[in-house]
Amino acid sequence: MRRSRALPGAVGALCRALPPRSRLAPDILRRARFDRPQATLGFWRLLYAVLKQIHGAEWTESDAIDTQIRFVKSALWYHGYGRPELYQLPSDGSAGSRELLLAFSWLLHRVNLLERLLARNRVKTGDETSVCTCEDDLTHSGRDTTEIAPEYGLEGRVDVRYLQWLNGKLRFQWRSLHAQHQEHCKLLHKIHLFTSGSHTDQALGHFSVTETDLIRHPENYSQLLQHLELETMQLEAFLEWKQLEAVYWQWMETVLDNMAEEGSMCAEQDAPEQTSKLQERATCCPWAESMTAQIDRLSGEMTALHSQLHQLVAHRRSAWCQKVKTREEELQKEDFCSKLGKIEESVELKLLDLMNHGAPNRNRMHGSCRLVFRSKHSASKTGFGGSVSKEPVPAVSAPEVIRELRMREASLQRELKQLQDECKQRLDGIAERLDGVICISP
Amino acid sequence: MSIVTVQLGQCGNQIGQEVFNTICGDVRGTHGLCSKKENEAYHHACTERFFSEAESGVPVARAVLVDMEPKVISQTLSIAARSGHWKYDDQSHFCQKQGSGNNWANGYSVHGPRNKEVIMNLVQKEVEKCDRLSGFFTIMSMAGGTGSGLGAFVTQCLRDAFPTSFILNHVIWPYGTGEVIVQNYNSVLTLSHLYQSSDALLVHENDVIHKICAQLMHIKHISFRDVNQVIAHQLGSVFQPAHTAESGLHYSRNPLGDLMETLVPHPEFKMLGLRNIPQMPENSLAYSTFSWPGLLKHLRQMLIANAKMEEGIDWQVRPPCPGSSISSSHSINKLLHFNTSIANLVILRGKDTHSVDLGSFRDPSLYTSWLNPQDAFNAWKTPRAFNKYEKSASLVSNSQFLLKPLDNVVGKAWNMFASKAYVHQYTKFGIEEENFLDSFTALEQVISSYTNL
Repeated sequence: MRRSRALPGAVGALCRALPPRSRLAPDILRRARFDRPQATLGFWRLLYAVLKQIHGAEWTESDAIDTQIRFVKSALWYHGYGRPELYQLPSDGSAGSRELLLAFSWLLHRVNLLERLLARNRVKTGDETSVCTCEDDLTHSGRDTTEIAPEYGLEGRVDVRYLQWLNGKLRFQWRSLHAQHQEHCKLLHKIHLFTSGSHTDQALGHFSVTETDLIRHPENYSQLLQHLELETMQLEAFLEWKQLEAVYWQWMETVLDNMAEEGSMCAEQDAPEQTSKLQERATCCPWAESMTAQIDRLSGEMTALHSQLHQLVAHRRSAWCQKVKTREEELQKEDFCSKLGKIEESVELKLLDLMNHGAPNRNRMHGSCRLVFRSKHSASKTGFGGSVSKEPVPAVSAPEVIRELRMREASLQRELKQLQDECKQRLDGIAERLDGVICISP
Repeated sequence: MSIVTVQLGQCGNQIGQEVFNTICGDVRGTHGLCSKKENEAYHHACTERFFSEAESGVPVARAVLVDMEPKVISQTLSIAARSGHWKYDDQSHFCQKQGSGNNWANGYSVHGPRNKEVIMNLVQKEVEKCDRLSGFFTIMSMAGGTGSGLGAFVTQCLRDAFPTSFILNHVIWPYGTGEVIVQNYNSVLTLSHLYQSSDALLVHENDVIHKICAQLMHIKHISFRDVNQVIAHQLGSVFQPAHTAESGLHYSRNPLGDLMETLVPHPEFKMLGLRNIPQMPENSLAYSTFSWPGLLKHLRQMLIANAKMEEGIDWQVRPPCPGSSISSSHSINKLLHFNTSIANLVILRGKDTHSVDLGSFRDPSLYTSWLNPQDAFNAWKTPRAFNKYEKSASLVSNSQFLLKPLDNVVGKAWNMFASKAYVHQYTKFGIEEENFLDSFTALEQVISSYTNL
């Protein structure tokens, strides 16, 4: 009986923890449990809004319902939701609220939905920065890149001078971006420096950009206050939810059990037909295609690398056996112990070097951080999860980050040089076969 | 968004001072012919670009002055301060007691390395005053010793110290019958070295400016000051704020970057020529009216026919017909001296710029075959009039403008070199014959690239 009283609390907290634009009334969840059709549209809209938000895309409430439904199906497929009943739901939003309830709960757990939404919709301090060096950020891959192909060319070929032109343009644009970024840093530094000592929070010591802006435009104070109040309510609801969520999951289990009973009474569908339909869904997500292409490419490269390594190891092993044989003969003539000591030392050094090379991922931070200026010319960054108590917040200092980035830069430079040498060799090989052509490399 | 100017040698310092003078005068003037808001935005953008604030309230030019002799620098500093409206930073100059004797090698191999640290410290101080560095603008003459030799060295140092900044070199092309015997050697060495470190070379030819002074400005006894003022006007018309995007809501905050991106992305083609229209004595301005179609028609023909000013244009020269094959159009071009462009930038300042039709500049026959007008042509506009001209149009062109002068200079230098005349003056300071040969090769490559457009 305690459970039945705690459940409305849990559901209420869940609904209040969702962002304002993508909320659900608690009784829609209740109706969905009994598969009432009135709850369906609301659920589709909720899923649409929530999925768009975590992928960093824009949306409006007025988007057509079948577009919304198509998008939700693609996004869920991308995240790995495998229940075929969802993908068979009609695209006019007339039925299937219980399936949607299942999908919503699955998403809630699978991608830490509430945490991600809260992180996304934080009130910005203006001091945010990212130390993440991962190349494929989920939030960035949702952008639409429309390319205008150059139209001309003799028999479809492009003049290499045009390519050089475009390359140069890209380089200049990169330089301008770099200068802009430097300016951003310089001005941020000025703000932090000039407001040092003014903040009531001793740990921070200076104002953020938003706070400084508030001093210049005090009339924005009420808007900011409103945002902060909304965020606080959401966070409180989230905390409540965390305490009550066990009840919710138990309830969901009963929903699943009910559906399993009913499902065994329905006829079975053709499995291959479903998978092809599922693959069609994937084309709605632009990023999903590139992901699968990348996965294919990666697996191809891995198998090639694997076989290369095998060959290399076999080669090395035979060479090593030869070396050992000759060394054995030499060693029998010389002092054995001192040689052994030296060999052990050099092996240890090499192992250490290899380990450092191969494991730079240890302390990778992801997501955004807040820049905090520390006096004595050392800046540090506080992590995202700042707590109410006085315990130290996870922080990383700027010199550390700079060092890691420099190491990364050095390794990328090495890789670049290696690739350049490879290209040079290939060019030389090609030039040799052509008559009367001298290849002068840059 | 701020440009740091490096004035090198006598020529560079005198021109630099005139440029800042013109810019300051334009900004303070009341002839803007636009709304107050526009004027304020222009003023703000211009001062951020060229001047920094000082306690005294007088704007301080963002510049470093370098010369081997003290005379010109002290003159420059005092003339600026006397104007009362702007000045140079008292600390921001470097000079020595002896000159370079018009010897490029002396400037490059001796004075350069010896004084590198001091000069780069001055530059660094100016850079730190900027919130955002848009890039460097160096002014020098090619023919002398300090400007050319030391200038080439300083440009190299700038490139090494600021690998991601934009560097624009303003180069004064000497008179064809100049006074310095070795000016062609100096020119060849300067150009080849600048080509490696700089992003773009903006060239003014002394002969051309001299003609403008004589025929357009009607000056009887032309002094260096008159020449420098014309140059300053032309440079000001390029570097004063303008709207680079179609929407035109804000002034561009990236003047050098925008310029480079539109004109010189290709590393082989860095030579830029500048044309400005109209040019006339100040007292005639009140009696003249201009129309945009007329101005643009003249400007376009100046581009096509490689005319240096708006008088004496050869109207017979026409762009080649699109249907002709490549080889025949080459010979026709050579016959009619048609100037093929790679990229062009037109800057319009003054009344009614929003309604100007620039279609004639987007004609594909003006441009080389591998670039279409969409990429090759850009226009910047501002309703704010410049330097008392009600309407003013400038053309910065990456085209065959400088092909003939370059060919001339290289040819003359090669003839001298073939007889080894005066070469010992250079080898004395470490510039060997091999360096000369490298420079010749590099410039021949540039000439060949531009010829085969």
